[in-house]
Amino acid sequence: MDTIVEIRRLVKRYKGNINALKGINLEIGKDEFFVIMGPSGCGKSTLLKIIAGILDYDEGELYIGGKDMKYVPPHKRDVSLMLENYALFPHMNIYDNIAFGLRMLNKDETEIEKEVSEIMKLLEIKGLEKRYPNEISGGQRQRVALARALVIRPSVLLLDEPLSHIDYRLQRKFASLLKDIHRKISGTAFVLTTHDQHHGLSLADNMAIMNSGMIEQVGKPEDIYMRPKTLFAARFVGEINTWSGEVLEISHDSVWVKTSIGVLKASRQNDEEIPNGQRVGYIVRPENIRIAGINEKADNTVEAVFEGMFYFGHYIELVFNAGGNERIKITTPTYNNLDLKINKKYTLGWSSRDAKIVSKPSILEGVDIEDLIYGR
Amino acid sequence: MYIQRYGKYLLLLPGIIVTGFFLVVPVILIVVVSFMQYFTMKSPTLTLQNYIDFITSPQTPTILANTFGMSIAASLLTLLVGYPAAYFLAFRIESVKTRNYIISLLLVPFLIDWNARTIAWIPILGEYGAVNYILQILNITREPVPLLFSRWTLLIIWLQTNILFMIFPIYLALIRIDPDLINAARVLKAPPSKVFFNIIFKLSLPGVAVGFTFVLVNTLGDYITPALWAGGIQVLGLSIASFAANFVWPYAATLSTVLVLIAMAVLFILFKLVDIKKLVE
Amino acid sequence: MKNKLAKIYIAAIITLIYLPAAFMIVLSFKSGANISFPIERFTLDWYIKPPAGEYAAYLSLFHDRQVFQALQNSIIVSMIVAILSMLLVTTTALALRRRIAGRDLLFYLFLLGFLTPGVAVGLGLNFLFSFLNWEFSVWSAALINVVYAVPFGLILMMARFNPDLVFYEQAASALKASPFRTFRKITLPLIIYEVISAAILGFLLSWGEVIRTQFALKGIGTLSTFINVQLGVNPLTPKWYAAGTVVSIVSFAGLAVFAYLLSKTTR
Repeated sequence: MDTIVEIRRLVKRYKGNINALKGINLEIGKDEFFVIMGPSGCGKSTLLKIIAGILDYDEGELYIGGKDMKYVPPHKRDVSLMLENYALFPHMNIYDNIAFGLRMLNKDETEIEKEVSEIMKLLEIKGLEKRYPNEISGGQRQRVALARALVIRPSVLLLDEPLSHIDYRLQRKFASLLKDIHRKISGTAFVLTTHDQHHGLSLADNMAIMNSGMIEQVGKPEDIYMRPKTLFAARFVGEINTWSGEVLEISHDSVWVKTSIGVLKASRQNDEEIPNGQRVGYIVRPENIRIAGINEKADNTVEAVFEGMFYFGHYIELVFNAGGNERIKITTPTYNNLDLKINKKYTLGWSSRDAKIVSKPSILEGVDIEDLIYGR
Repeated sequence: MYIQRYGKYLLLLPGIIVTGFFLVVPVILIVVVSFMQYFTMKSPTLTLQNYIDFITSPQTPTILANTFGMSIAASLLTLLVGYPAAYFLAFRIESVKTRNYIISLLLVPFLIDWNARTIAWIPILGEYGAVNYILQILNITREPVPLLFSRWTLLIIWLQTNILFMIFPIYLALIRIDPDLINAARVLKAPPSKVFFNIIFKLSLPGVAVGFTFVLVNTLGDYITPALWAGGIQVLGLSIASFAANFVWPYAATLSTVLVLIAMAVLFILFKLVDIKKLVE
Repeated sequence: MKNKLAKIYIAAIITLIYLPAAFMIVLSFKSGANISFPIERFTLDWYIKPPAGEYAAYLSLFHDRQVFQALQNSIIVSMIVAILSMLLVTTTALALRRRIAGRDLLFYLFLLGFLTPGVAVGLGLNFLFSFLNWEFSVWSAALINVVYAVPFGLILMMARFNPDLVFYEQAASALKASPFRTFRKITLPLIIYEVISAAILGFLLSWGEVIRTQFALKGIGTLSTFINVQLGVNPLTPKWYAAGTVVSIVSFAGLAVFAYLLSKTTR
């Protein structure tokens, strides 16, 4: 894979010694659809703005297209940026807004007209040329902002939280529009930031999870989902059940962990040596847990009381209480038509193949497993 | 990269240079010259004599009392007259258009030529002016009544000139008060007087401070109005002007330094009490 | 009822402050060389009566060469002030947007421009020019007024800055616009009304200014300083009300333009 953006040991400090970025290492490939995910304040917007050049960095290296960007101002980088609030120029009409970048690149007017026309057709905003930003709808403004950033054919298109602050349906529409455009246009890597894990999972070729200025994990969505390296990454991507516990025993393919809901068995990931007694996090995804019938055998069984359910349309989330406020979440397709009674005890079971242990809470120093699981 | 970092400092340069040369340096100079015996550029003799003269001069207490007293009186009067106007403007006039219109109207006296706005009172209140004329026609008085030579006239002239600078900051402070605060007080059964004093007035204090200080500083330095007005009250500004005109520069500098110190003291108190930047943001 | 009281009060204040203006205008048309009441006849003499061998102080405005010179000086000085304060206010306001070291202190420094008594500044400037052996000119008069006018324009501009302006500039940067082009195509159009208002403020504030200009320009001076000096040596006739009216008319015109500009928002 050819890399278009290379970041090494990037550090950014703000006044008062607050480290916004504590040493970022990242590679983004040409033509990749890359998602940077993380909770609010983790530094993803800062990272994006540094790549764009509107923020400066303190240590480390940034290469775009193989060139060092240390002394290159934003208007000389082969990078484009779409801001969270679109920032459409209010005193120019839509055509002039979109044509702006091309004019700054001193292209001639006939060529500009062709490019603008094409991109407007691609994004289905043709006809809005003479209107002004305050005269069009939110969804249209979104697409105009995208058109404006895209029409200059950058090697990297940065999008800062493009899916935030808009309602669910518009989010889905815009997300698939982005994927579509990315497919149709070759030669541009898309880099998108979001705090919503669903966006990352559904859109990314590759993604990075950030936490407090550091990267927890980089990889394909399935990789992170199936094989999270830290507890933070595990909890950030997808729904998950987690318990802290101590390692009791290890065999060549399994691990037994003593948790607050009993001794649980998980499959052993790799040849990592984990000493007995080590505190780890035990994880199993909700879709892998089932309500056991009377004589069903499972690797792991837990008795729990049914508390209630959340209806999500095509799947349901069932919440059980396994004693002492330890909750277990199960998700199951709606058509399964389970008839459960509240406050009745059920047996839940899952295979050890679907459970894993994660020994590292987070890439950050000094994070306690319990704090992470029980919420900070 | 570099323009981003250092461009803002570059932008400040013209302003700083002009302000430095035409404000900071002159003020520094008057302090320096105030310690000189004779005005000279080459190795001047420095002395405290000017200040001693100032402190011991029999006219000093009168001048200071006049200056400071009249300015404070003017500020108080303007506050008393201006606060209700600001209040009415903020709470009793609904349409924003009308408000802006009224504010523009209030700007008017500031635009009338300084000289005219002072001497225009002579045909109003003077011996042969309109008021006396009307009084005599209506047979209320037989002789012209001397209306012009009271200090109140000076105060009214200053009131008229500075009223906008009192009304405007108070108005700005008043419109920033969250109406929910007032509603909450009313819901909690507070009587209108309490609502006003405890909430509205308290929250408008920054504007009051700004307005009061502005009028105070403005009138402290104004010697034109007292000079043109027939009463001839001796204020600090006038002394400075007269010594300067007679080229007794060191003493004029001393008086100026005193004036600046008084003004700065007032401003210092204001800035401690109020955060001006909040009014701007 | 409450609103009625409000309206009456405000109307009373406005009447009070318009009184001198009204009298100034009315008296400028009074015939006769004194300003006492009653006014028997109205005339345009003080404005335009052709000279008929009178004492200079009684020449009508239009024919008084000194008045013309003073008027010319007023226009030149105020125009310079307008342009310079426009430039300084714009650069300073743009610079003070971002967080820089000593930003608050700098702001207060500029504020001191109109909070420091004009007498002191004027006197100090005389010392300075004496030290440097410089001559006073329309430029010195202009610059001392610029320092006075800048804080007004600065506060006006900073208060009306669109907070989204920074985002537009960032977007323009990302769209390959150099800092200079960003300013020309994005920033400037969006602050143009405030910029011109700063110019007009500069004009208005310097037009009627007496104290500062008096210290910074010798000789005939501007119209306002000229009138001030003449009043000290001449008997009081309607001529000076006429002169005051002329000065005030220009101010009113300037205010009208200023108010018009302020009513236009670029948001």
